[in-house]
Amino acid sequence: MKENKTYVEEGDRSFYDFRYDDKDSYKVASGLTPDIIRQISREKKDPDWMLEFRLRSLDIFTKIAMPDWGPSIEGLNMDNIVTYVRPNTERMHTDWNDVPEDIKNTFERLGIPQSERESLAGVGAQYDSELVYHNVRKEVAEQGVIYTDIESALRGEYADMIRSHFMKLVPPEDHKFAALHGAVWSGGSFVYVPPGADVEIPLQSYFRLNAPGAGQFEHTLIIVDKGARLHFIEGCSAPKYNVANLHAGCVELFVGENATLRYSTIENWSKNMYNLNTKRAKVEKGGKIEWVSGSFGSHVSYLYPMSILAGKGARCEFTGVTFAGAGQNLDTGCKVVHNAPETSSYVNTRSISKSGGISTFRSAVVVGSKAHGSKSSVSCESLMLDSESRSDTIPAMDIRTNKADVGHEAKIGRISDEAVFYLMSRGLSEEEAKALIVSGFAENVSKELPLEYAVEMNNLIRIEMKGAIG
Amino acid sequence: MELTVNKPLAGTFGWLQVGGKRIDLQEEIHRQSCVLSPGETRTLLLEDQGASEYEITLGEGARLNLVQLRGASGKSLSYNNVRVTCADRAFFGWYRIVTGGSETYDNCSVTLEGRESTFEANVCYRLAGSEKYDLNCEAIHEGKRTQSAISASGVLSDKAFKLMRGTIDFRTGCSGSVGNESEDVLLLSEEVRNQSVPVILCSEEDVVGNHGASVGRPDEGLLFYMETRGIDEETACEMLAQAKLDSVIGRIPDPLIRENVREKVRENIREKTPEHGREKTPELDRDTAFQAAPEGE
Amino acid sequence: MAQDLLKAEHLAASVEDAEILRDVSLRIGRGETHVIMGPNGAGKSTLAGVLMGNPAYTVTGGSALWEGEDLLAMSPSERAKKGLFLSFQNPVEVPGISLENFVRSALSQKTGKPVRIWSFRKEVKAALETLDMDESYAERDLNVGFSGGEKKKAEILQLLLLKPALAILDETDSGLDVDAVRTVSKGIEAFQADKSASLLIITHNAAILSALKVDAVHILAGGKIVAEGGPELIEKITKEGFAAYEEDTQ
Repeated sequence: MKENKTYVEEGDRSFYDFRYDDKDSYKVASGLTPDIIRQISREKKDPDWMLEFRLRSLDIFTKIAMPDWGPSIEGLNMDNIVTYVRPNTERMHTDWNDVPEDIKNTFERLGIPQSERESLAGVGAQYDSELVYHNVRKEVAEQGVIYTDIESALRGEYADMIRSHFMKLVPPEDHKFAALHGAVWSGGSFVYVPPGADVEIPLQSYFRLNAPGAGQFEHTLIIVDKGARLHFIEGCSAPKYNVANLHAGCVELFVGENATLRYSTIENWSKNMYNLNTKRAKVEKGGKIEWVSGSFGSHVSYLYPMSILAGKGARCEFTGVTFAGAGQNLDTGCKVVHNAPETSSYVNTRSISKSGGISTFRSAVVVGSKAHGSKSSVSCESLMLDSESRSDTIPAMDIRTNKADVGHEAKIGRISDEAVFYLMSRGLSEEEAKALIVSGFAENVSKELPLEYAVEMNNLIRIEMKGAIG
Repeated sequence: MELTVNKPLAGTFGWLQVGGKRIDLQEEIHRQSCVLSPGETRTLLLEDQGASEYEITLGEGARLNLVQLRGASGKSLSYNNVRVTCADRAFFGWYRIVTGGSETYDNCSVTLEGRESTFEANVCYRLAGSEKYDLNCEAIHEGKRTQSAISASGVLSDKAFKLMRGTIDFRTGCSGSVGNESEDVLLLSEEVRNQSVPVILCSEEDVVGNHGASVGRPDEGLLFYMETRGIDEETACEMLAQAKLDSVIGRIPDPLIRENVREKVRENIREKTPEHGREKTPELDRDTAFQAAPEGE
Repeated sequence: MAQDLLKAEHLAASVEDAEILRDVSLRIGRGETHVIMGPNGAGKSTLAGVLMGNPAYTVTGGSALWEGEDLLAMSPSERAKKGLFLSFQNPVEVPGISLENFVRSALSQKTGKPVRIWSFRKEVKAALETLDMDESYAERDLNVGFSGGEKKKAEILQLLLLKPALAILDETDSGLDVDAVRTVSKGIEAFQADKSASLLIITHNAAILSALKVDAVHILAGGKIVAEGGPELIEKITKEGFAAYEEDTQ
């Protein structure tokens, strides 16, 4: 499609400077080798099986081809991938002055205080977020909930549980970046909710992601046992600023019988990022996965959370919004596999393209032969804000039983001049009117978010809409 | 000769295997080009010949209705590729009726170059046994105020397979254009497989694009209603299938060709329907009923 | 006494685990017209659905016989072929199939023979006239784009053409203006002209009954038959409403 390489924002140049810092003690000339993997594994004090797993993943990584159907990722230098794998975290942009202007401005507009800005940008001290994180952990621990970083869990009491779940949903064979993740993963969260526990406060991973070295190839593993409930929030609406521009995380969610998991993400990676994240949930009998997903950041995204409805009556709800502005190519959507009787999926997404941005909604709904009495409904709407932008809708359905009802609806269009005129006649400026209309368009997601996130998301939309009018 | 057919404008997840298909052609491709002069109007009826490619150019204001029939009695593999370019205000209507054949590959790609040109596709299929139908239909909007309407409906029973990729592509500059795509598939057996990939590509702000699809069994409320009037489920499904074919045939503008097609489709269906099936649904055939009741009452 | 056409005893039924029908017994003979009246939520439509075999309802008790045969064991289409008809409150749209073709298919299914087209067309035309409907309705897809009143008329049209032994009219008069009620009522009278035709009219409004011969009235409240009598009950209900019966069930 378009040459994405040419879309480089002015701020991006400075990132290269960080990456080639001479003092980087782990700088390696080219590609990944088994030796590097062994070294990583040794430093992390991996159990033996994990080292083997990493090596096997590396082997798969070298053999699998790049995806040939999505946005171009030519701008990603795969030969230098090792520099993404081993950034010297101690030296990661420790100076606030190095943070690009657009990110600083975003903080300003979001109204985040200076101290927090530094922390959010990863340049400040970590203690604020660590403290909050520990407090949250204490509260939920009383319900028997385990919420910890995955690396320490790997060596602790839950080692066996992790071993029997780790990359079982997303095997390294899945695609090239899943294999890369398997080889070099580092950091992330582990959550276990025991049967029947109802976690009222949402757990938020962003505190963990700010930990040194995390956020690049982090692994999130969540197990919600029978009849339990959890809301997990990933990321935050402030831009996530990283030296390296590849994010290949992996999220594996196990939703037990009659359990409910809501997984919310407001992603706003800095605009140099290649976000090649893999998220997947397996839902047992009577269980439910609810995805709430907002994609605002990154240069290129490939993001299609997948739900495997494995038990009778399992349900999936996916609510998403994607906003692609200048220089962004965001390919987002979801996948649902109905593999048991009476399962249902409900997908509702909105996408917005502006100032040359490309947004693609891509989905796959598979209804297998065992999925008698299942229902699926997919609805996606796209809004084009100008003719330099692009908006594509590429859904697919694969139905292998007649005992199912599958419906799909897609719409593409523009902001109605009449609506803008109406709002302007009530005293709004054109910019405010359009921002209001776009916020309303994205309401499917904002109404699913906790209030403070919804407010921040609407602020983000307002920021993206700024300057929309000449 | 091996070739890849039906490759869509935009691909998607490889594991779905809905990209282009490799086929092995045993025969020469029959190639034909057709140019309609400005203002000319024509309706053409073509039956599948095995492997055909048509290059069609429609001049200003020209109107072509292309009716293509594919039945079980044709060759086991049919490859049909229709490429059309429309000048200002030209109209291309495609009426595609597939009532059988073990393997059918259809590509219909229409470029709406001229202003206010229109493409209308009416596709209908009735597949049973292990018949396969693979369709790629594209409306490429380039000119201003162009219109496309792709509508496909069909019925699958036994182990039939159908893949439909429908793409509406709004190119920059096609302001004021409208594209609609709708699909409606009835599945009558547990072993059928239906794949649908309805794509809208858009790089123009001032357009309206819609797509809707529904795949599944006939609506339960509808079946119950029909049952309460004494029509059992099997007959009801048969009636609904026939209604789909009728509605596409009914849209063919030329009355002679329309009746000719009606006759041919009836023959095709009759050849396919096993004896007992035919006896069960005598009333479906208008003329049988007609003949059974001679005038003069 | 001649065998009953329909004999229901102690019928009980539920929808999604909620018990709606608790105890209904009814005997309808050939040529009889019965009326079921009752307040909203009494279970009137459930009774109609259960008799016709709507899969949304689960029969939890009792029996229903059609000329001595187990009605509840039959599929809806078998019931229709036996001569039972239900006029729907909200008939579904049948895209792609014209009203005329639909009824003709139903008739030939019932008789197992093709329908003689000219005599059938004449009948359709006569029925359309009875119901003040334009001839073009015969060619239109059944119920597609019909207004509420047109749908009700199309149901009565089918009743006249299919000539069932027993027709259940479920709130056929609801939502209709005075003129439409008169027209529908005319259609029902035409059906009653056949002396062996039986009717079970479900309504909460006496207007539609004024011109009809009524043999028996049953008051349904709280899922039970709480009172029975002759046409005089209709007048009583018109004056006093259902309040007295509703208290009984609480």
